[in-house]
Amino acid sequence: MKRFARLADLRFLLSAAVVVTIVLVAILAPHIVPYEPNDQDLLNILMPPVFAGGSPEHLLGTDSLGRDTLSRLIYGARTAMTVAIFASTGAMLVGSFLANIAGYFGGRIDWAISRMVEIWLSFPPVVLSMLLIVGLGIGTDKVILAIILVDWTRFCRVLRTEVLVARRQDYVSFALLAGFSNSRVILKEVLPGIFPMLVTLFSLQMGISIVVEAILSFVSMGVPSDVPAWGQMIADARIDIYSAPWGVALPILTIFVAVLSFNVLGDSLNRVLDPRSKIAHSS
Amino acid sequence: MIRTLLWVIGKRLAAIVPVFAIVSMLVFAALRVLPVDPAQMSLPPSATIEQVEAKREEMGLTKPIWEQYAIWVRSAAQGDFGESAQYRMPTTRLVLDRLPATIELATCALLVAVTFGIMAGLLIFSLRGTIFETIGMVITSAIMALPDFLLALLFILLFGVLIPIFPVNGRLDPEFSVPLRTGFLLFDSVLAGEPRALLNALSHMALPTLALGLAFSPTIVRVLHSSLVSTYQQSYIRQARLRGLSDRSILFGQALKNAILPVVVLVGTQFGGLFGGTLLVELIFSYPGMGNLMLKAMQTVDLNVIMAVALIYCGTTLLFTSLADAGAYLLNPRLRA
Repeated sequence: MKRFARLADLRFLLSAAVVVTIVLVAILAPHIVPYEPNDQDLLNILMPPVFAGGSPEHLLGTDSLGRDTLSRLIYGARTAMTVAIFASTGAMLVGSFLANIAGYFGGRIDWAISRMVEIWLSFPPVVLSMLLIVGLGIGTDKVILAIILVDWTRFCRVLRTEVLVARRQDYVSFALLAGFSNSRVILKEVLPGIFPMLVTLFSLQMGISIVVEAILSFVSMGVPSDVPAWGQMIADARIDIYSAPWGVALPILTIFVAVLSFNVLGDSLNRVLDPRSKIAHSS
Repeated sequence: MIRTLLWVIGKRLAAIVPVFAIVSMLVFAALRVLPVDPAQMSLPPSATIEQVEAKREEMGLTKPIWEQYAIWVRSAAQGDFGESAQYRMPTTRLVLDRLPATIELATCALLVAVTFGIMAGLLIFSLRGTIFETIGMVITSAIMALPDFLLALLFILLFGVLIPIFPVNGRLDPEFSVPLRTGFLLFDSVLAGEPRALLNALSHMALPTLALGLAFSPTIVRVLHSSLVSTYQQSYIRQARLRGLSDRSILFGQALKNAILPVVVLVGTQFGGLFGGTLLVELIFSYPGMGNLMLKAMQTVDLNVIMAVALIYCGTTLLFTSLADAGAYLLNPRLRA
């Protein structure tokens, strides 16, 4: 079991390191890119990365317009992180607000919110997010809004059950007997109990938001075309997939690494924060 | 027995009717709010303002929205979903032409996902306590971070570009032609007695199906694995072991029956993800199904088509979820009693 614990720590450290790096790269993007992401170098188009026979001028090669792949990946991280952080926070706030109301008050409110979740879940998520973009139009803020409107149900569904469990705990009843207001009981008594779940869900939602942003910009229904995004890079490079496969492979790899680290981070946070799973694993 | 079966399924199907009705109202209202004029779109660009006004009157667009919805429901009940503004033909025919391709794709992908997920889950579980269990779980979480559209592109890179062994475009090579009877290419090529066309269709389906199925399977692996772990902690398993049953007969004869329940529920609730995923995979493989139709319709704001296809996506998801729910209920002896 000790070896398992060490492995779990390693996973946590590695994924946290990658996540921090991605966030730092996103924040520092303008200062660390070798080229402007939209600058075209039409003499050097479709160059392979340096390890596949390219020149060291463009470390990861260029796309069909001679734009530097590394710079675009770095700016793509900025887009992805902006969307992911705002969208996940928004989905978490909306979802956990409704979950708390539903689980705490029960009765008709719970019924109404549960039916609403049911209606939402009948849409395949991809279809719903695209329908929303058709209605909202293209833009970074619209993508964020669309993801919030699609993914709040995930938080709501899981947290509602957690709130229901927490609601029946004695300490919540005592707090109510002691005459605390509903909002105080929710914030001070119920919320700390569901906090581990919340953090885990948030981390997983970051990965999902990255994917949705990539999907939307892949079908050019995401961010505007002058904003570099990973999905858009894949879409642009797809035409030249036979002559320049790296153009498709590198953004795929980037998305994969980003999503994987958020998923693994979420899993290990769950293990560290949740007292129940800690008992289960140390026994 | 059959009466209980019908009762359980019928009750769940009845429960989705109101949900579906509300969904259709929501989509209808949302599409009417869009800043496009369906009347103008259904006429050639040279139409005069009077003609557009006349058309608006004729299409009932001047009426309040609930009346418009009522009109839509009445004609939809007769199978008329209006005309596609982009293709200038009935939406019903457009959708029915493309629906079989998507159903075929989704069904095969689901089969791949379930087969692969259950086999991998059982394999990893039977290797528990060894280093292979850890390796298996690491691979599972790696695949989990590759959503369907990335897997599809990755497969094109690997098996279409680097080692070109599978075709990456459409449903059939142009040299084959199969008379379409059902629209399901796999059936049609068998009906036409053309084994080579069947093989060709299968090779076209290989990559899209694998991409969708594989992307969906890690969740099945995880749920089956943890469900088996908790099933094995129950006393009836210990008893079976004490009775001297072999590992194999404990797993397949005793444990799996109960451990499979969460998997059935999961497949039901997550089916929407797989079904929606066909949309992207169809785009990537230029597969002539409903997803490509929907994407085109969304780019050109072809309202009638968007409405019809969105409802098919939602209806199928609802139907599948409730059937899986009924299945889990019937499989679970504790709930059945």
